[in-house]
Amino acid sequence: MKKRKRRLTKHEALKLETERALLEQIRRHLALPMEKRTHFLRKRIGFQASCL
Amino acid sequence: MDAHPILSTIARVLHEEGLEAVLVGNAAAALHGAPVTTVDFDFLYRKTPANLRKLKAVAKALDATLLRPCYPASDLFRLMRDQDLLQLDFMGRIDGVRSIVGLRNRASRVNLGDHELLVASLVDIIRSKRAAGRPRDKAVLEILEKALHEKTQAPPHKA
Repeated sequence: MKKRKRRLTKHEALKLETERALLEQIRRHLALPMEKRTHFLRKRIGFQASCL
Repeated sequence: MDAHPILSTIARVLHEEGLEAVLVGNAAAALHGAPVTTVDFDFLYRKTPANLRKLKAVAKALDATLLRPCYPASDLFRLMRDQDLLQLDFMGRIDGVRSIVGLRNRASRVNLGDHELLVASLVDIIRSKRAAGRPRDKAVLEILEKALHEKTQAPPHKA
C-alpha cells in the first residue's frame, strides 16, 4: 500500500518559508554590484535604539 | 539607511590621509550580499605611530572625536561624530586573522565614487566571527555561511 505523505506542521512550514525568503534576499543582493549593496546601516536613536 | 554616501566619504578621507584600513565586520559582510545590518563600521589597520597620526587626521577630516573606549583592555580606537552618531572602530587585531597582509590580499576593492575601499573577504569575516564566538557573532554566522554558499554557487556579477 502506498504510504501517504505527511502534512507539514505549522512550525516546519514556517521554517521552510523563512529559509526560502532568506535565500531569495541573498540572491537579490548578489544580483547587485557590491557598491549598491549599501542599505545595511542602522541609524542610532538615543542611547539604545536604532532603526533602518 | 543607505550607507553609500558615508562609505564614499570614508573611502575619500582614508585615501587623502593615506591610511590603509580594511573594512571588516557586518558592514563588510553586507557588501558581500549577506542580509545583515549594523550601526558602525569596523576597520582593521596596522597599529603604527605613523598610522595613529593618520587616524587623528582622519578623525579631524570627518569632524569626529577619537576615543579609546576600552583602554587599557583593548587597543580599539573609536571615531564618533556627534551630529549623526557616525561610529568607526579601528582595530589593530581581530580574532581569527593572523595578519593584515593576508587579509588585505584576499580583500575586495569596492569602487565608491572616486575612491576604492578595501573590504575583507566573506571567508575572513566568517573566520573572525567564529573565532570571536560572542553571542552576537554566533547569531549572524548562519546567515553569513548561507551568503557565502550562494556567492560561490552564483556566477560572478558582471559590472
